[in-house]
Amino acid sequence: MLSIGSLAFLNAWLLSALLVVPALWLFLRVTPPAPRRVLFPAIRLLYRAKSAEEKPDTAPWWLLVMRLLLTVLVILALAHPVFNANDGTPGKGPVVIVIDDGWTTGRDWSRRTAVMQGLVNRAKRENRRLFLIRTTWTPQDPRPFDKPIGPSRAEGLINAMQPKPWPVRLVPLLEVMQVSGLPVSADVVWVSNGVDDPGELAMITYLRRLGSLTIVMEPKPDLRVLMSPKRIGRVIQVDVIRLAAGPEMSFAVRATTADGRVLARVEGQFSDGERRASIKVSLPIDLRNDLTRIEIEGESTAAAVKLLDDRFKHQPVGLVSETGFQGKQPLLDELYFIDRALAPFSEVTRGPLDALLQDDMAALILADVGIVPQTHRIKLLKWMEKGGVLVRFGGPSLAAAGLGTNHLGSEGLVPVRLRGGDRTLGGALSWARPLNIHSYNSDGPFAHMPSYGKVKVRRQVLAEPTIDLASKTWARLADGTPIVTAEQRGKGWLVLFHTTATPEWSDLALSGLFVDMLRRVVALSSGTFGAAREGTLLPFETLDGFGVLGEPPARARALSPGKVDPGVGPTRPPGYYGTELERLSINLEIDPGSLIEPLAAPSGVMVRSFANNVETDFQPVLFAAALFLFLTDMLATMLLRGQLTPTSSPTDTLIGGLVIGIVTLSLVVGTGTARAQLLEKEGDEFRLKASLETRLAYVITGNGAIDKASKSGLSSLSEVLTRRTAIEPADPVGLNLETDELAFFALIYWPITPDHPALSEKAARRVNAYMHNGGTVLFDTRDQFERGIPGGTSGLRRLRALSRDLDIPALAPVPPGHVLTKAFYLLKDFPGRFTGGLVWIHDLEEDHASEVTPVIIGRHDWVGAWARGQNGSFLYPVVPDGEAQREMAFRFGINLVMYALTGNYKADQVHVPEILERLGQ
Amino acid sequence: MIREQSEAIAGRLPPLQVRAERAAQTVWQGMHGRRRPGRGEAFWQFRHYESFDDSRRIDWRCSARGRDVYVRETEWEAAQSVWIWCDASPSMRYRSRRDVPEKIDRAGVLAVALAILLVEGGENVAPLGEGMPARGGRSGLNIFIETLLASSAKTSRPPLEPLPQYAQVVLISDFLESAETYRELIAEFATSGCGGHCLQVLDPSEESFPYGGRIQFEGTEEETPRLLRRAESLREIYQDRLAEHRATLKELTSTADWNFATHGTDSSPETALLPLFTTMTRSAI
Repeated sequence: MLSIGSLAFLNAWLLSALLVVPALWLFLRVTPPAPRRVLFPAIRLLYRAKSAEEKPDTAPWWLLVMRLLLTVLVILALAHPVFNANDGTPGKGPVVIVIDDGWTTGRDWSRRTAVMQGLVNRAKRENRRLFLIRTTWTPQDPRPFDKPIGPSRAEGLINAMQPKPWPVRLVPLLEVMQVSGLPVSADVVWVSNGVDDPGELAMITYLRRLGSLTIVMEPKPDLRVLMSPKRIGRVIQVDVIRLAAGPEMSFAVRATTADGRVLARVEGQFSDGERRASIKVSLPIDLRNDLTRIEIEGESTAAAVKLLDDRFKHQPVGLVSETGFQGKQPLLDELYFIDRALAPFSEVTRGPLDALLQDDMAALILADVGIVPQTHRIKLLKWMEKGGVLVRFGGPSLAAAGLGTNHLGSEGLVPVRLRGGDRTLGGALSWARPLNIHSYNSDGPFAHMPSYGKVKVRRQVLAEPTIDLASKTWARLADGTPIVTAEQRGKGWLVLFHTTATPEWSDLALSGLFVDMLRRVVALSSGTFGAAREGTLLPFETLDGFGVLGEPPARARALSPGKVDPGVGPTRPPGYYGTELERLSINLEIDPGSLIEPLAAPSGVMVRSFANNVETDFQPVLFAAALFLFLTDMLATMLLRGQLTPTSSPTDTLIGGLVIGIVTLSLVVGTGTARAQLLEKEGDEFRLKASLETRLAYVITGNGAIDKASKSGLSSLSEVLTRRTAIEPADPVGLNLETDELAFFALIYWPITPDHPALSEKAARRVNAYMHNGGTVLFDTRDQFERGIPGGTSGLRRLRALSRDLDIPALAPVPPGHVLTKAFYLLKDFPGRFTGGLVWIHDLEEDHASEVTPVIIGRHDWVGAWARGQNGSFLYPVVPDGEAQREMAFRFGINLVMYALTGNYKADQVHVPEILERLGQ
Repeated sequence: MIREQSEAIAGRLPPLQVRAERAAQTVWQGMHGRRRPGRGEAFWQFRHYESFDDSRRIDWRCSARGRDVYVRETEWEAAQSVWIWCDASPSMRYRSRRDVPEKIDRAGVLAVALAILLVEGGENVAPLGEGMPARGGRSGLNIFIETLLASSAKTSRPPLEPLPQYAQVVLISDFLESAETYRELIAEFATSGCGGHCLQVLDPSEESFPYGGRIQFEGTEEETPRLLRRAESLREIYQDRLAEHRATLKELTSTADWNFATHGTDSSPETALLPLFTTMTRSAI
């Protein structure tokens, strides 16, 4: 093998044939192309005539050059040049490939595989044996160090290899390798992750002792890692760390649900030279519990994904109902409203304070408790320091608590100093009137609270005016007195509502405002703190090396509390453990302190990057070029011999040109052409099928049952049309909006499913063009049975979303006397499987005779009424009128097709009375 | 063998004859023969005996029917004998393009068409070189055609045959041999009192020499091949030479009071047939 730089010739000895080229030059120079032979009877007249030009018999120089080039190309191609074949395995001994397959490699695994395959290909050519050593090796794996394997087996292993969602472990690996039978004088290639893992240097030192070492890595990988998200008040804070501090760079973090819906996408930015960036994701409260996954967009590693479990989402609220320190007091009544307000959003538990504190509540609610005993107060303060939210309500007890000293200070576990007693607004003996809750502090959680109308407060406990009162007030009455005050205690909050949690003192407990306020207050808490669980949790779904959830691997072990946690590794892949309902997430946590430094290879080690390490074989290209030259040469020779002069028939020239053109094209375009031709053929088939006969068409939604119903419904309608009318449609056609031409169909039935995939821009353009050019689309949301749901039914919502890009004209219900009601049958309404809804068409303001509507929107699931099973019986029941209604559904179908095919000519009937009248006169 | 040949001939005959008849028909429409009394076999009319009539010419059977004496007149028959020769040498089996006929094909069509016209006009025809007497009538025509097609002579030189005086000779060939070859022959015919017509049939490529590039030209009759490097450079020389050759031929035919005409296979046969036939009938009268 001969190597020039990174170019190598596999059959270098063939290059000696290049020596013949100069000889060929001489030979070709004196051998002109063979003359054309022509039969000519009048040859006698040509004797003794001298040709005007007495040039020597040589071929033109450009033909010579072309032929020499052709020869050189063929020789070079036979010598089999390969670019980048010199990849760090120059020796003859076995090849050791060390493969980093830890979590960092998921982002560019395909490039790694390509490099490894290149190495194996080369080993195959040179008939060398290989050692494949993965750096996530554990003693439980088979030992790859003892015996080399053949290239074909290595190929299989590499194809089966996947990145692992845990870190590499160089130190234990090195220990084993040092005592293994790895040969000295091997060529070592380390396909590295480019990260300075612990033990990296020792490993490099060891590998260099084995033989020549090449490290293949990306010099500065822009690896990004997601830190565990933190809940800070109502927002979730996410930190992203990158491997190397570099220039400014933006990234995006997505928060998604279990079924892949994106709840939020937040863009962030690393400042210049910073390694850490922090972003905040804020979600509406009712969506926050759907959040199961936060990930960095475009980063496919296990460390760029954080799975969230119930610990993150649950905010259990404790209602203190059995205090035990103030004697029996019927608190149940008070807690009733709080319970009702919180139950839909939080897990609400009632119990004595001690029990609740042990259960790690996110928020505790004390409804009108006077003085909290010392022991409890200390416990509560501690709990608040850790992030708990204590919500207290005013009431007679609290008012009475301050009566003794005339005020209640911070020792009373209230956020602001309270005056003793309470204030009554309105009543028989007062001029004052009950007041509205008037304004909210713009810093507090109640900022931007929607208006809930007039909520009257009749009694309240009053705060002493202090300097910090204003900043501690979250909500005020119309006269400016605080109604909700709060104080931060450590990570937690102490919140006081200055009125009761019952309708006794105010309307608050009866209004939606109460629910909203409580939810916002509870959301301040930072969740529960490591709920203790019992029993073992089996792996449920685990992440793979690309950060995708899937089946857990066989080696994953169950999680059992109380035992020593082995940390994320082969037996503990990151993912969910437990059951679908109760699951615990284990994430790959990267310690931001010790994290990941880019690897700086010591001097003396060859470092290559991925980009130019992929072996490129030039042989096919050279052969193709030679073939092209050969064909050109043929053409040129034909020209020189005069076979392409006007004497030869133009068809010959054409055929010659075509042959060259086609061969060249196929060379240039390669398999692409073939595929395109195939596609074109398929397209032709579709076009012929669609245009040779009239067909009804439906949009393929991807939902199997609905597509089947559409197909069979339209078939059945076609049958009925054939039987009853002059329209005899062939089998209906399913349309893929992304690829199929729509122009062949007069009517397209489009069932809308709630999970209908979104339209691409191309498809939307296509549908718009179809509607503009006179086509009719029947949108069927198939959800008449869902009517009455506020905000529209699911199908309608989806249709709204889908049609955002569609050019849908102003709509109106089908007016009486419209052509649709009399195109074939006279119809009053348009029942399908369901009935009773309106059918909407283009609003033409009474001028319905002039145009066919581009859209018809209804929700009666017509195909459902038409669809038949294989045995001919109808697939779906029709409600409420049964078979009579089904007949009407068919009649609607017939009218619809008539309308779509014949347009509005039946509208002329409108003028019949006038015409008759005129005739009569 | 004989059978094969005759089948081949029979296969070729109808289209040839049909094409020849079609060509002859076209020409005939403008020609009204010598419809007048004269020497001949066929009855023309009875007329009253005149004093200058030979008494032997009185038709007694007719005269016996009435009082007048009638003379039976026959149609004037200047039965010309025409000997037609058609070159069948290999050089005639040539065409440069697919849309023109081979020269021999065209020559055959012209010969047969001419024969048909002549026979229609009451002349006698015979192929030259077969030692056959000239015959007229439909049967004579058939014999002519069969003999012409079966003719085994493949020389490019017309055979010399003793012909009666005032016979007409028609030579259809490409006349590509040297002019001297023909000079002697034509002189021989002319001295024996025969009139004659030469029709040179050439392929369009032989007229225009549309070749270019490096070409090896090969003859049809075992001539030495000629290699041209740039054939297009010889085009003018060739055309000059062809004109020269024609001039010589024209000169030597006119000295014998013969006619010389040329015909390209790319034009229709009628274009050659009409002038040929016109000159022939004119010369015959």
